[in-house]
Amino acid sequence: MKDAAAIVGIAESEYTKWGKLTRCTEYQLALETILRAVNDAGLTIADVDGFASFSNDRNEFCFVATDLGVPVVRYAGMTWIVGGGGACAAVGDAAMAIATRTAHCVVVYRSIAMGQFRRFGRALAGDVVGVRPQDAALGFALPFGLFNATIGMALLVRRHMYRYGTTTEQLGHVAVTFRRHANLNPAAVMHGRPMTLADHAAAPRIVEPFGLLDCCLETDGAAAVIVAAADMARDLRQKPAYIMAAAQGMGPRNWTMNNYFKEPLLESPGAYAARDLWRMAGVGPRDVQVAQLYDAFTPLVLASLEEYGFCKPGEAGAFVEDHGLEVGGRLPCNTSGGSLSEAYVHGINLIIEAARQIRGTSLNQVPGAQLSLVTSGNMVPTGALLLRGA
Amino acid sequence: MSEAPPQYTTEYTRRTGGADWIPYWAAARQRELRFQRCADCRRWRHPPGPLCPACGSARSAWERASGRARLISWVIAHPPVLPVWKDRVPYAVVLVECEEGVRTIGGLVHASPDALRMDMPLEVAFAPSPDGDLVPQWRPAQASA
Repeated sequence: MKDAAAIVGIAESEYTKWGKLTRCTEYQLALETILRAVNDAGLTIADVDGFASFSNDRNEFCFVATDLGVPVVRYAGMTWIVGGGGACAAVGDAAMAIATRTAHCVVVYRSIAMGQFRRFGRALAGDVVGVRPQDAALGFALPFGLFNATIGMALLVRRHMYRYGTTTEQLGHVAVTFRRHANLNPAAVMHGRPMTLADHAAAPRIVEPFGLLDCCLETDGAAAVIVAAADMARDLRQKPAYIMAAAQGMGPRNWTMNNYFKEPLLESPGAYAARDLWRMAGVGPRDVQVAQLYDAFTPLVLASLEEYGFCKPGEAGAFVEDHGLEVGGRLPCNTSGGSLSEAYVHGINLIIEAARQIRGTSLNQVPGAQLSLVTSGNMVPTGALLLRGA
Repeated sequence: MSEAPPQYTTEYTRRTGGADWIPYWAAARQRELRFQRCADCRRWRHPPGPLCPACGSARSAWERASGRARLISWVIAHPPVLPVWKDRVPYAVVLVECEEGVRTIGGLVHASPDALRMDMPLEVAFAPSPDGDLVPQWRPAQASA
């Protein structure tokens, strides 16, 4: 699969605070954004023959393909790598479909308009007693007031911080750096709203040890990525971002949310994806110039820095304190603002920014970026992509 | 241990894990902490499930646990919370590792979160969840424990 496929087209809709998308439906937003990504690639809709998505996107491919006028569909996949863990896996699945010649040009998309459906964190409201395993993974925690991802994540984070001596101010460095990056990106929801370490420290507590500014945005928006066969990619409008490696999965005894039973407790699914990714790619963390690390919560970035090998376990706090995440730092990260400050669309925006870094068109460009890493949500089963330029 | 699940009336505490969890909640109503244990390889397991992940056996029993545990982590939840928790903030949730080697979660009772220290001994204490049902909660271990 190595280098068999490339990201050749990208597009994002406007990003707004959750509930603010009122000009059209979530579904129309998906269609418009896919068309713009096809255009960006210099293709026509007739070139598309596959669809992939994640996080149980509501906008099913058959309706999308029909309304876009796609003549033939040869691949359609919804990854089981759950929620924000799934964006890289969806692109990886697209690349596998292309590498096997099942399809030639696959659209990966995600569209979210929470005001038109249910807001995250209220997902359990009004549901009935369930019988699926995932109902157990959420339901057993409800009698104790543990009802959303933030509270569930905080339990693991406190132990991790204790073990390695991570401070809340170090978490603040992650939030402040990504906010600074968002301020270079007019499309970011938090553009024009600077943040200091003092702002981070003074923010209301949500669930200790998290304050409000440790938690990502809630966004309405859509994004689409066109993945095409390498032989097709060479002659298109944009510089291809070749998919050098794509890993997905998890280790033993993982759940989705409320992931307290894995062994070892503090090792995230990212540790497993990382090992596979570097093995497939035949390169290592030292070869990477820029990364987009999934940042639904600030500490996830610290875990990824360690698990993908950019520093040793326990050293990520010092890494970020030392301005390591900035352009010019040890590993520029989330250069368009990430989920914390650009948009929370389950991490597909991170893939788009990773491709822009390879094209050389980021508004916060890392000079000479040749290898660009993206990771997906590592609190749940996860995935990662390594993109390369020419 | 196969009685019908309780009729929960409070919207946000209604789901408690599905069929495999029924004996866990049923035992708590009798003020007992029980975990599932494989009847073949004798390994404890939690969360409960239809098969033993270690040996594949479908034979299991719900055996009584000592109720002694070690504090692995805790959080303190602040607003915004779901409506049923509004009058209870801030509240603490603990993650514990029981003597039997399994982990579980619960609320903190009979203590302030200020008293919590990593790895301190805790013991089970049965106290109601917002729907009034007795559930396994945790408190600092008493000297005699």
